Amino acid sequence: MLSRGLPTATAAAYNDVTTTCTVPNSRSVDISSRRRSNGFACKSLYRKCAPVMAVKTDERVGVDGTLADRLRMGSLTEDGLSYKERFIIRCYEVGINKTATVETIANLLQEVGGNHAQSVGFSTDGFATTTTMRKLHLIWVTSRMHIEIYRYPAWSDVVEIETWCQGEGRIGTRRDWIIKDHSNGEVIGRATSKWVMMNSDTRRLQKVNDDIRDEYLIYCPKALRLAFPEENNNSLKKIAKLEDPAEYSTLGLVPRRADLDMNRHVNNVTYIGWVLESIPQEVIDTHELQTITLDYRRECQHDDVVDSLTSSESSLLKGTNGCAYSKPDGENLSQFLHLLRSSGDGLELNRGRTEWRKKPAKK
Amino acid sequence: MVATAATASLFPISSSQPDSAKNSGKHGGSFGNVDPRGLKSKSRSSNGLQVKTNAQAPAKVNGTRIGVMDGLKTDDNVTSGAPRTFINQLPDWSMLLAAITTIFLAAEKQWMMLDWKTKRPDMLADLDPFGFGRIVEDGFVFRQNFSIRSYEIGADRTASVETLMNHLQETALNHVKNAGLLGDGFGSTPEMSKRNLFWVVTKMQVLVDRYPTWGDVVQVDTWVAASGKNSMRRDWLVRDCKTGEILTRASSNWVMMNKVTRRLSKIPDEVRTEIEQYFVDTPPVIDDDSIKLPKLDEHTADHVRNGLTPKWSDLDVNQHVNNVKYVGWILESAPQRVVENYELASITLEYRRECMKDSVLQSLTSLLGGDATVATGVIDCQHLLRLEGGGGEIVKGRTKWRPKYANRFKNINHFPTESG
Repeated sequence: MLSRGLPTATAAAYNDVTTTCTVPNSRSVDISSRRRSNGFACKSLYRKCAPVMAVKTDERVGVDGTLADRLRMGSLTEDGLSYKERFIIRCYEVGINKTATVETIANLLQEVGGNHAQSVGFSTDGFATTTTMRKLHLIWVTSRMHIEIYRYPAWSDVVEIETWCQGEGRIGTRRDWIIKDHSNGEVIGRATSKWVMMNSDTRRLQKVNDDIRDEYLIYCPKALRLAFPEENNNSLKKIAKLEDPAEYSTLGLVPRRADLDMNRHVNNVTYIGWVLESIPQEVIDTHELQTITLDYRRECQHDDVVDSLTSSESSLLKGTNGCAYSKPDGENLSQFLHLLRSSGDGLELNRGRTEWRKKPAKK
Repeated sequence: MVATAATASLFPISSSQPDSAKNSGKHGGSFGNVDPRGLKSKSRSSNGLQVKTNAQAPAKVNGTRIGVMDGLKTDDNVTSGAPRTFINQLPDWSMLLAAITTIFLAAEKQWMMLDWKTKRPDMLADLDPFGFGRIVEDGFVFRQNFSIRSYEIGADRTASVETLMNHLQETALNHVKNAGLLGDGFGSTPEMSKRNLFWVVTKMQVLVDRYPTWGDVVQVDTWVAASGKNSMRRDWLVRDCKTGEILTRASSNWVMMNKVTRRLSKIPDEVRTEIEQYFVDTPPVIDDDSIKLPKLDEHTADHVRNGLTPKWSDLDVNQHVNNVKYVGWILESAPQRVVENYELASITLEYRRECMKDSVLQSLTSLLGGDATVATGVIDCQHLLRLEGGGGEIVKGRTKWRPKYANRFKNINHFPTESG
């Protein structure tokens, strides 16, 4: 006999019972030891719905999207084709310039990318795999990352990042971001990245087959949408390999525990830090990073030792007057070419390119 | 009104309806008499009532739309006196289902390190959408919420201790800023800046009961208190937003240093006037852990890690290495098998000397009780971070580790027992 104290408990139980009955397979999606997948499986179990409403496992964009959004201050846009999220810059994410570091920005881009994937129902272990990909042991890996920052946010600023992805032919997928200052809507940065598919067991690259492409393309804009629509923009530039001897170098960089993901591979953002390590103090003191482009060639393991090499592009160009810090056309941007390689065997891990602008005068 | 309601939902309400809103106001808040340890045990025991209380809490808010989740609206219908609804007329087999569900949930929790995040009411989002934080408890406590981001998670899918300490640092700064006491830079009040003084942390203790995971929202409370004549104590309490369960307690000690002379200074009267009004008269959240430890050097250490150098991103605005980074380096020399199978239960740090970008550091660890203890129970370690070449000591530390899955087994006893 139901007494007054019971109804809520029963209702709650009823809710849960409903969900468990109709979502029998939700756990199998994420039960493997993947980073950050817990929330997803739990979510389907505790779906809050009126008792009689059936819950559909695969239609995640509706009910689940809303829940994820609330939890994460982010949401799919109305057309469901991109994802926006707001972040507040915390004090420990701010560097010597009193503004967010480029690593913070890169972390946020990674976070919002992961949240986007999660909100449309892909598991997120950093690689946003679809169901078919998981079956085939395939993961996405970054092949290129290009970030441009026009104005760095400061402590307590709120940034709004919008992200979406699109297929790039057979080879892979592209994820783009636009970073805005939430207070005035000003675009303060843009980024784009290219991803390719790799077999997580053999570590070999693989072409994207049609099933997988269909799985994720429904969440991507059909029309071409580029964060960098302008012709000949920097994000498409080929990066030359930096040869010895480099102008500047920092040798013997070692991954820290915090740099490793669950599979003990070095996380993407760590490479950015390594690239910047060999930038000389004079540049760090007087300039701020405007653009960074990184080509990821080979992964770094936890026991690797890395050398970071840097040379200014003008010193590499034959025939210029060798002035390291100004471009001939007066743009006042300093450009550098980078190489990260394994200390022991000299194999290339990453190559990169950065552009630096003079720091804005202090107010 | 809204604030009370929010508090009501944040703390597990063990009493029933009408005065729960009032009670929780006191419960969470009478700061003067709170015994953090007492609060902790209360939270634990009331875990058993979680399912019920969460369902009831929004009803307290009398149906105002403070972002109450859709599912809970159903509960509103039920509790706000619609006596003959469909749900009330369910036959008894629903209780059996409830029991089955309870058991299933318990098992689920054990398997998946469940963290109840989906049951979290949305009131937080509306009160403090970006986690700016606000002053509570009559101006003495600063409270800020943090959502755990994916890059703050360590290899074992929980927030790293560095993440937790970063949050503590952020709330401390925001507290000072909110109180209007943020002078230039991040370490001084206006009166301190005038005198070239800044706060330096001398000791930090962090006790973690449970690590949050990705997507969790934690609520960090911080306050300051006097500590002896010339130092200040800052304490923190970190709770899980949904359940109110205490996750972490921390306590730190600060002294004043002159920027120019680099000497310690007494607290000048003008500064005392500025800050004394914020001092709370409560005992520290953690008992001071000041056991004398044997000397640690390369010969007595079990593990040594050399060549640690600060990166650009390790530096704060003063180009000093940020306090929290030391923790990462200290843990660098912790043995791999400890890091893989154990989680940090507590860490005590004594800061000796600052370190700059071009320092090269050495991290030493010694397992107190020898390697034998790795096989069972709690592990106790002693740490030293110093400049290479036998140089000055930067940080001394002490850590205690517990087996990683200990918490799961503890929680079985606290699982919702209400099956009717």
